[in-house]
Amino acid sequence: MFSFKSTMFIKVFKYLIITLIIVLVSTSCTKEVDFNQVNNIQLTPVIESSLVFINEPANRFLVNGTEISGLQDSANIDVFNDEFVIDYLEKAEFLFQTTNSINRGFQVQVDMLDDFNQIRHTFSFSSVASPDNSDVVNEHIEVFEGNFLTALKNTTKLVFTLNILSGEPINQSTPGRIILKSKGTFYLNIQP
Amino acid sequence: MVIRKFCVFFILISCLASSQNKQLLYGFSEIPQSLLLNPGGKVTNMGYFGVPLLSQIHINAGTSGATIYNLFANDGLDFNLKLEKAIYNMQANDFFIINQQLEIFSGGFAFGNRFEKDKYLSFGLYQELDVIAYFPKDYAILAYEGNQTNINRVFNASHLNARAELISVLHVGVNKKVNKELTIGFRGKLYSSLLDINSTNNKGSFVTVDGTNNFYNHMFNLDLEVRTSGIASLNNDGATSESTIKDLRKRIFFWPNLGLGVDVGFTYQLTDQWMVDGSLQDIGFISHSKDVKNYKVSGNYVFEGVNPLFPETGAGQTAEDYWNAIEDEFNDLFKVDTTNTKYTTWRPVKLNASLNYAFGKKKYKDCDCLRGKSGYQNAIGLQLYGIKRPKQSQMALTTYYFRKVLNGLQTKVTYTIDSFSYYNVGLGLSANFGMVNFYIMADNIFEYKNIYDAQSVSLQLGFNVLFKKDEN
Repeated sequence: MFSFKSTMFIKVFKYLIITLIIVLVSTSCTKEVDFNQVNNIQLTPVIESSLVFINEPANRFLVNGTEISGLQDSANIDVFNDEFVIDYLEKAEFLFQTTNSINRGFQVQVDMLDDFNQIRHTFSFSSVASPDNSDVVNEHIEVFEGNFLTALKNTTKLVFTLNILSGEPINQSTPGRIILKSKGTFYLNIQP
Repeated sequence: MVIRKFCVFFILISCLASSQNKQLLYGFSEIPQSLLLNPGGKVTNMGYFGVPLLSQIHINAGTSGATIYNLFANDGLDFNLKLEKAIYNMQANDFFIINQQLEIFSGGFAFGNRFEKDKYLSFGLYQELDVIAYFPKDYAILAYEGNQTNINRVFNASHLNARAELISVLHVGVNKKVNKELTIGFRGKLYSSLLDINSTNNKGSFVTVDGTNNFYNHMFNLDLEVRTSGIASLNNDGATSESTIKDLRKRIFFWPNLGLGVDVGFTYQLTDQWMVDGSLQDIGFISHSKDVKNYKVSGNYVFEGVNPLFPETGAGQTAEDYWNAIEDEFNDLFKVDTTNTKYTTWRPVKLNASLNYAFGKKKYKDCDCLRGKSGYQNAIGLQLYGIKRPKQSQMALTTYYFRKVLNGLQTKVTYTIDSFSYYNVGLGLSANFGMVNFYIMADNIFEYKNIYDAQSVSLQLGFNVLFKKDEN
């Protein structure tokens, strides 16, 4: 009886050892992986965002019945010198699309100022008059790369100036309107 | 008709996905821990105790999407191309899971009247880590592509869906043999949540559409929340990994984020050879009231740009006010509100059911008789497993073959279909050396040749001391 039990024990033990070896050998088998590859991660999303817009009839350029030649406003803006933008913004493009149906040309100037109120970058675009009040469409693309990109990243204040160019005076019944649409395209390159 | 049935079957199969599935242990009545899966399971011993900290070690990890090897193989391919492939191939319902359990102590004994000990009491304490994270597809696409190529695409905020919990479970179960056919069981559980973090109820969207006054309208509609308990206090200044582990260890017994739950189950012997059983585990909840910190982002905003020269100012509002108002809108939208509101989490309920057929009586050379009560040496069966998860229930279907190789040595081979894979073969083994019982089981054994490329792996093993029934 004792010998029967001991041979059985050996059999059981043998099975167990074989199984264990199979499991252990097979678990230890892995093909080569390299987790450091995560350091190579590079994300290049392209974000588009609406910027400024204007959509006004001719008579909005009258104050007490008298034509105003220019309009100016400024705004403090802190998105361009955000740490994330400074680190990862590789290139930006601003697209301005004007649609003019007033029989007067106009010009828009954008001044970009830094914390010390110093102008870092200026650009402008214009539209010719529309004598027959049909839509005159113009597009301007301002590209920010290199020094211009650095200027953008230092910008904390924007000054917009709109000048109506000389021509037939505007009154309450002057037809047409000025439309400005704009968007920014931001090319990011995120490498942690 | 046949084709339709076939289609239904395949649709069912394609919905299958499992985690925490212990198909090898389920119904393996020679291993005392099988009572944790079905408190109404068959009991084959008179008593047992688990070797402390070694009675059940279980680890299970899985991915229904990309594997570690897909991403991190040292194959000279550009990592970003592999990442891109993973992002585009995975869907928002793909998920990653980790489940780990460690039994700290456990034991059990039979009791009843003098003639028949027909009841069995079992108890124990185990620690469990459970993590599930769904692939946040739309967030990944937005981070990867941006919105330029996705005008009019609605980015779904609910794609952020994940939960992780570290708990300890103190439990006591009773198993009663009602008659020759029926055995029923019940287990009460006291949960203690050591750590909890979840974000499973996010709503809202972000979309860029063509605008009227400007090129685009950007529409934000966000309602996101992350709830945590037991984490805020760990981030105290001066906390080290050592002190953190010490803090966590204390919480196994003395942490006030407690919950209650039950397991129920039965076994019914249809005939001498046919048997059905079933169980529900972890019908319960945990109430989180201490050390709670929740983070919430919510708001609606439509942005179409700013009108710098003709701001739509209200009465007495200057242009500067107009700019500030826009800035405030954005700040409000993305402002993270923190609260300490207590919350309740539900444990993932698990279902197990099986139909079994035993066959093949052992013949002895020395006498024409049967030894022991359960004379059958083999069993085959079909098991169904389901678990309730945040997005949808996951299921798995298993067929198995069980064999008593020798007295005191049993093996079980399983073939499981779930959405991790259609070729999951598992192997389990239980061996007794005198009073010591040792078991080891692993599924997806063919994937162990490259464990990093496995969709899922599960391994459990343990040691118990058994007091056997006097069979002869």
